Amino acid sequence: MKLGTVIGRVTLSRSVPALTGGRFLIVSPFGREQFQRGLDAPVSFGSDPSPVVYDDLGGNVRQVVGYEEGREAAQPFDQPTPVDAINAALVDEIFYSPFSP
Amino acid sequence: MLLARVEGNVVATRKHPSLEGWRLIICQPLNAVGGPEGVPMIAIDPYGAGMHQRVIISSDGIAARKAVGDDKSPARWMITAIVDEKEPGVPV
Repeated sequence: MKLGTVIGRVTLSRSVPALTGGRFLIVSPFGREQFQRGLDAPVSFGSDPSPVVYDDLGGNVRQVVGYEEGREAAQPFDQPTPVDAINAALVDEIFYSPFSP
Repeated sequence: MLLARVEGNVVATRKHPSLEGWRLIICQPLNAVGGPEGVPMIAIDPYGAGMHQRVIISSDGIAARKAVGDDKSPARWMITAIVDEKEPGVPV
C-alpha cells in the first residue's frame, strides 16, 4: 500500500460495466518528506504522477488514503476488471519516526 | 522482496474488511549503504516487527492474501522476515 492525499475526483458517463457505482479519486502520492510533515500539512506535489484510484470506501478531497497498486487492485471484484489502483484504507493517523543512525 | 526499515505505523478505521486487525507498518526501503531510498511503503505485519528494525518486505499478493485469509483482499506488501544481522557477526 502507498499513502497519498486525495486532490480531486473523476466522474464518468460511460465505463466498463464492472466499474459502475464506484468513485474515482485523483491521489497525489506521499513522498518521504510528506510522511515527516504529517497528515495535516499542505500537499507537496512531488514528481510522481497522481494516479486515478477506484474507491468504494468514500474518500474525500484533502483526505489521506492508502491505495494498493498492481494486479491486487482487481482482486476484490467478482469478475475480471480493468483496475490497477484501489483505495484500501482511509487513514486516520500516522506515527512516523525517521531513522537516523 | 526489498530490505526496508520500520519507521512507524498507520491507523485506519475505515479499510477493506480483510485488513481488520492487521498492523499496517511504514517500511522505508534501504539502499546499498543502509540509507533510505524511494518512498515508504505500507505493509501488513504478521510477525510484530519493532520500530527501526530492519525487515524484508515482499510484494507477493498471493502470499499476502493467504496470510489475511481472504481471496478478495487487495493486500500486496507484507513483512516476510525480520533481519538479525546483515552479514555473519555484524548485528544491525
